[in-house]
Amino acid sequence: MGNEILEQHIQSDYKWGFITDIDTETFAPGLNENVIHALSKKKNEPEWMLEYRLKAYKAWLTMKEPDHWAHVHYPKIDFNNISYYSAPKKKTELASLDEVDPELLKTFEKLGISLEEQKRLTGVSSNIAVDAVFDSVSVKTTFRETLLEKGVIFCSFSEAVQEHPELIKKYMGMVVPPTDNYYAALNAAVFSDGSFCYIPKGVRCPMELSTYFRINASGTGQFERTLIVADEGSYVSYLEGCTAPQRDENQLHAAVVEIIAHKDAEVKYSTVQNWYPGDKDGKGGIYNFVTKRGICSGDNSKISWTQVETGSAITWKYPSVILKGNNSIGEFYSVAVTNNKQEADTGTKMIHIGKNTRSTIISKGISAGFSNNSYRGLVQIRKGATNARNFSQCDSLLMGDKCGAHTFPYIEIKDKTAIVEHEATTSKIGEDQLFYCKQRGLDTEKAVGLIVNGYCKEVLNKLPMEFAVEAQKLLAVSLEGSVG
Amino acid sequence: MIAEKTNTAQQIIDAVSASAGKVNFINDAALSDAMLFLENKGIPTNKHEDYKYCNVDAILKKEFKNLSQNFKEVTSIKEFKLENAVTIVVVNGNYSETLSDKIILKGLHINSFNNLDDNGKSILTSQADVNKDAFIALNTAFSGLGFHLKVENNTQLQIPIHIIYISSSNDQAITNPRNIIEIGNNSEATIIEHQITVQGKVFTNFLSEKLIKENAKLTSYTIQDQGENGFSVNTNQVKLSRAASYENTTIMLSGQLIRNNHNVVISGENAEAHLNGLFVIGNTQLVDNHTLMDHQVPNCQSNELYKGIINDKSIGVFNGKIFVRKDAQKTNAYQSSKNILLSDDATINTKPELEIYANDVKCSHGTSTGKIDESAMFYLNARGISNENAKIMLLNAFAEEVIDKITNEELKELIQKKLGFN
Repeated sequence: MGNEILEQHIQSDYKWGFITDIDTETFAPGLNENVIHALSKKKNEPEWMLEYRLKAYKAWLTMKEPDHWAHVHYPKIDFNNISYYSAPKKKTELASLDEVDPELLKTFEKLGISLEEQKRLTGVSSNIAVDAVFDSVSVKTTFRETLLEKGVIFCSFSEAVQEHPELIKKYMGMVVPPTDNYYAALNAAVFSDGSFCYIPKGVRCPMELSTYFRINASGTGQFERTLIVADEGSYVSYLEGCTAPQRDENQLHAAVVEIIAHKDAEVKYSTVQNWYPGDKDGKGGIYNFVTKRGICSGDNSKISWTQVETGSAITWKYPSVILKGNNSIGEFYSVAVTNNKQEADTGTKMIHIGKNTRSTIISKGISAGFSNNSYRGLVQIRKGATNARNFSQCDSLLMGDKCGAHTFPYIEIKDKTAIVEHEATTSKIGEDQLFYCKQRGLDTEKAVGLIVNGYCKEVLNKLPMEFAVEAQKLLAVSLEGSVG
Repeated sequence: MIAEKTNTAQQIIDAVSASAGKVNFINDAALSDAMLFLENKGIPTNKHEDYKYCNVDAILKKEFKNLSQNFKEVTSIKEFKLENAVTIVVVNGNYSETLSDKIILKGLHINSFNNLDDNGKSILTSQADVNKDAFIALNTAFSGLGFHLKVENNTQLQIPIHIIYISSSNDQAITNPRNIIEIGNNSEATIIEHQITVQGKVFTNFLSEKLIKENAKLTSYTIQDQGENGFSVNTNQVKLSRAASYENTTIMLSGQLIRNNHNVVISGENAEAHLNGLFVIGNTQLVDNHTLMDHQVPNCQSNELYKGIINDKSIGVFNGKIFVRKDAQKTNAYQSSKNILLSDDATINTKPELEIYANDVKCSHGTSTGKIDESAMFYLNARGISNENAKIMLLNAFAEEVIDKITNEELKELIQKKLGFN
């Protein structure tokens, strides 16, 4: 019976797999200096930005593609077979939503983020300001004016380069330098757009900020950059969602996210990642190779990463926090679900430098089908990080006997006052748990959903309300009946 | 794994080949594979994931610049002998029949590698794959004259076997002690392996292949006491058959570098393996414990407990891996690593890994690192115990969990005396 349900689920469709028929302007595949010049020109970028890109490109050329350490398998990527720019054709500068291509708006409606509707509901603090990135270009940022009243800057990265060059120059590459790693270098050279967000001193951002990423055109890669700067005493909660159409080919997504939290600032970053995971035979799907890192640069600052990872053929990312300020706090809450032939190698790095720094890591992995799900994390207590404290918990849940769950934690401690604890368990859904639920009238499907939700509760509770609902639904879809 | 290669291996090959003849008890295929591996891959640096925290290449380069292989004979081992045990002695990597006790125990056989029977020949190199690790290759290429210790089927040895590996050199030297230990069906034995360096700077590259047959039980102790000029890499390749039981307790007393590769292959159902380790280090010592529990079949158990007390500028490493293969359902595996840092310059790196491909398993690991518990100190202080004494009591209590695993009283006393926290 178990197999039947598993089969049933494997056949269930990726509901975000539609393709939007929209006029796009796409570069021919290939990567060389000319492409970068063209890209920069297209975006009307200042000279320093072009130089930044070229420097990163040159560094990238000297780097080697990492392929030997992560617990993932994929064919070598041909970087000359990717188009580095794809944008919905624009007529002129858009002044309001009315001028946005209606096809595009329909897409976002399908995705459940109706920009139209949100526009009408201005001023309600529980609302979310959305920056939608379609293929490589930021399409529309909502609520900009409302936010500006508070002094909050929330716009596409390209606009920020034009309008706030001093901020970009100061902060871009501060946490993830262009030479950080292979994919970060590639991103620094060819990044197309993304979001920029600046919260001024003492401001508590009145609404959740959100970016929605969508890959649409085929043969393209998406290389966006997100930069969040929280000035002294500010607070922001930031959400990120991603989907992609169903295609036979593998598409590369190599993003960079940088967070800078000054003294007493707090940034909460939540991701629901649902890129197309490929079909049941592992054909197609997104390669999600992302560098996410934040720095608690000031005292008493806090950065919190929450992620729900259900998509992508291959996920390879480690949202990290550098705890430089004294008394700073880093958090990582993650649920990673893999099914069919998906592979995920994800986790976090907590680098303790300041005194009295604290970090918490809660990671819940769920593997089903033929997938492999790995947690890989680093907790590093540097010398002089007095009274640092870390607690890590990595649990894995296996569904079926063809999948794998792995844990690779690295713990490096150079200070005697540090207290570091790490726990990991691997288990399956207990027969007794299922029996208990079934006895109370739930069918197997619902019982599994209930148990998995309970298993992930610690993480899901950390998500903002709007996302928590979506995440719960996603989990249910991703795991429909995969009890084996 | 792409790792940078250096010429350290070549220098060792040159130095050792100059003073030693060809190893004639290991088959030519394994010898040439071993040489090829060394020439191609070299000695691992910290670029090699398995040696990330233990750059043996750099240590060898720094400490063993002038390998002379100028050994000193050892004539007496009296002071190291245990009262109640059969003693086997290996001097500078070679089995010494003259220093070893005459074997009169029923069911126990010891053959030097020169007199191996066909069974012994078939076991030699069968567990230690030269293409897996540089130190297996190095030992295979230049293996000392080892021995095959065999406990016949249905034999319960009442007296423990005490194997003393003793090295002495006029200056810098490398030794490659090697053995095969075979415990027959339904048999039981206790083996104490004791590593000592009396003079000179010696790098010991130890390799043991242990076969524990059906329903057999091996209790083994490894005492590493090589002093401040002792450097060692110790590889144990253990294979368990159906319902076999293996328990090893390793006490790391001294040694500038101690790297332990303890690989246990569980290939028969209902088998169980237990690994315990305790290291108490200071100065600039480096101790690196790597363990692998390879669960290949269902219904087996494994357990690991490693504890470390790390002082001064020393570095402790624990890297344990529980590997559960696809069919190894109902596996029950547990791993625990606990450490206390006593100094601001001390470092502990731990990497407890789980790699699991079966769903009906219970696997978990826990690791914790901290300082001496302040509330416990306060409790003792409040009862009139000085800071000094309180610290000794607490460290003793911490270490006791591992020391208690030693069931041989004579050995336990010796260890407690040697550790003597102060």
